[in-house]
Amino acid sequence: MLCQKCKVKEAQFQFTKTEDGQVVKLSLCAECAAALKMPLADKTVDLSGMMAELKNQLDQLQETLAADTPPAGQHACPVCGMKRTDVLKKGRLGCDRCYEVFGAEMVPVVVSLQRGDQHVGKVPKRISSGLRLSVETGRLRRELDKAIAAEKYEEAALLRDQLRALSAGKEQL
Amino acid sequence: MSESANYADAHAVVLSSRVRLARNLRGLPFPDRAPSAVRAEVCQRVMDAARERLPLQEALAGAPTLRRQLLFEGHLISRHLLTERPESAICMDAAHSCTVMINEEDHLRIQVLQPGLALEKAWQVANDLDDFLEQKLDYAFSSTLGYLTSCPTNVGTGMRASAMMHLPALVLQNEMEPIANGLAKIGLTVRGRWGEGTAALGHMFQVSNQRTLGLTEERIVEDLGEIVRELEGHEQNARARLKRERRLFVEDLAARAKGILTAARLMTAQEALERLSELRLGILLGLVRGLDVQLVDELWLAVQPAHLQAAAGRAMNSAERDKARARMLRTMLKGRTPKRAQKENPHE
Repeated sequence: MLCQKCKVKEAQFQFTKTEDGQVVKLSLCAECAAALKMPLADKTVDLSGMMAELKNQLDQLQETLAADTPPAGQHACPVCGMKRTDVLKKGRLGCDRCYEVFGAEMVPVVVSLQRGDQHVGKVPKRISSGLRLSVETGRLRRELDKAIAAEKYEEAALLRDQLRALSAGKEQL
Repeated sequence: MSESANYADAHAVVLSSRVRLARNLRGLPFPDRAPSAVRAEVCQRVMDAARERLPLQEALAGAPTLRRQLLFEGHLISRHLLTERPESAICMDAAHSCTVMINEEDHLRIQVLQPGLALEKAWQVANDLDDFLEQKLDYAFSSTLGYLTSCPTNVGTGMRASAMMHLPALVLQNEMEPIANGLAKIGLTVRGRWGEGTAALGHMFQVSNQRTLGLTEERIVEDLGEIVRELEGHEQNARARLKRERRLFVEDLAARAKGILTAARLMTAQEALERLSELRLGILLGLVRGLDVQLVDELWLAVQPAHLQAAAGRAMNSAERDKARARMLRTMLKGRTPKRAQKENPHE
C-alpha cells in the first residue's frame, strides 16, 4: 500500500485518528509521518522492529530443530534409504550401514538395555584386516583395564606394549 | 533304569533347549528394507552355503498355509514367517534339529534344538553351523557392536538361548508370577509356549536371555543354564510339596485328566494341552500308572491343528479337528494301535 499523503513511497505505519467524530484510518510512509508529527513512539507499531524480532525467534527455532536432527545428508541411509523418523518409529534398522548413520542416536538407547557397550563374543573369521585390528585393539584394551583394576602392573605393561605394536601396525595399513 | 524312566528323568522339567543366532549379509539391506531381487539373491546365497549341512530346503513364500502352520507348530519357523513373506525359506537337517530361516527379520536365523537341558551343546552345534556357513557368507559385523541385526536389541552376539520348561507345580502353588517377575529383573524373559504370562497353556514356559551385548555366548548360555537349573529345582520342590501336602487334589486332577483324554469324543486344542499337562504331572509324581511321559511329550505336537490335519492327510475345519483330536488321543493313550501322529519334530 502506498503512503496516502505522498503517494510515492510504501506506507509503513498505520494511524487511527478521530476527525469530526469519525474514525479515520491513515497509512503513511516514515517521512510523511514525521512531517505530520504523528506520534510514532507510543501509538504506532514498528513493523521493521517486529520483523527483526520475529526473524530472530525463527532462527532460534531452526537452531533448536537442527540440533534434534542429524546433519544435512544424513536424514536417510544412503544404502537402504531408511529415514530417521522410520528408525525411531519402528525401532528397526534397515541395513548394516544404518548403524553408522543413526548410530549416535540409536546406540546409547540399545546399550542402556544391555550388559555392556562392547561386543565381547564371537568374531567372524572372514572380516577385513582393518576390522580385525580394531576387534583386537578392543580386546587388548579391555584386558588392560582389567589388569590395572587388579593391580597386575607387569601384565598391564605387556598389554600396553602389545597395544602400541598394534597401533603402529594400524598406521602402516 | 529303563529307557522310559531315563527319558522321564532327563525331561521331567526341561523338555528342550534352543539356541538361535541372528546373522545378516554385509552391505545388503535387511529383509524388511530389501527389494525383491536382493531378497531372492540372499535366499539363493544362503541356500547354497547351507546345502551340504542342511539339505532339506523349501521356499516358504507360495507354500500352502497348512505347511507353514505345520512348521510353526513344530517351532521350526517363527510367527513372523507364519504369515507369508516374499522370498523366505527354511533349510533343515534330516533330524530337524538344525535349521536356518532365510529372510525372516534378519537374513539368517540359525536355530539349534536339543532335547532336555543342553544349552551348551545347542550353542556348540549352532556355533559350528555358523562357522560352516561363514565360509561362504560375509556377515554384517562391527568391532564394537558385534553382529548387526535388524532389531537393535539383538546386536552383539545376535544370540537368543532358551529352555522349554514344564512348570505345573509352580503354577498350581501360585509361585510362578513372583518367579517370572524376578527373572525379568535379572535380564531373562519368561513366556508361555502357548499363550501369554502365567496363564500359559499346558503350564509350558520358555525362559530366554534378553541381553546380547557385553557378554560372550558361553557366558549367556552358562548364566541361563544356572537359572534354569535353579528353576528346575524349585519346580521339583513344588511337585514334592504338592504330593505331600495336597496329594488327593493332585491325584484327582491327574485321574480326571486321564479320564477325559481317554474318553472324550470332542476335544479342543486348549483343553487337550491343559489335560496333557495335568496327566504329565500325575505320571511324573507316580500317581498315574501305565502311561509314559515320552508319549505325552509326543502328543503336545500331535494335538496341534496343522499336525492333526497332516496326519489325516486332509484339511479339516475346527469341529472336524475336535473330533479327530479326541479320537487320536483315545487311541494313543489307550495304547492300542501304536499309530502315532506324523512327527514333524522329534524333540518337541
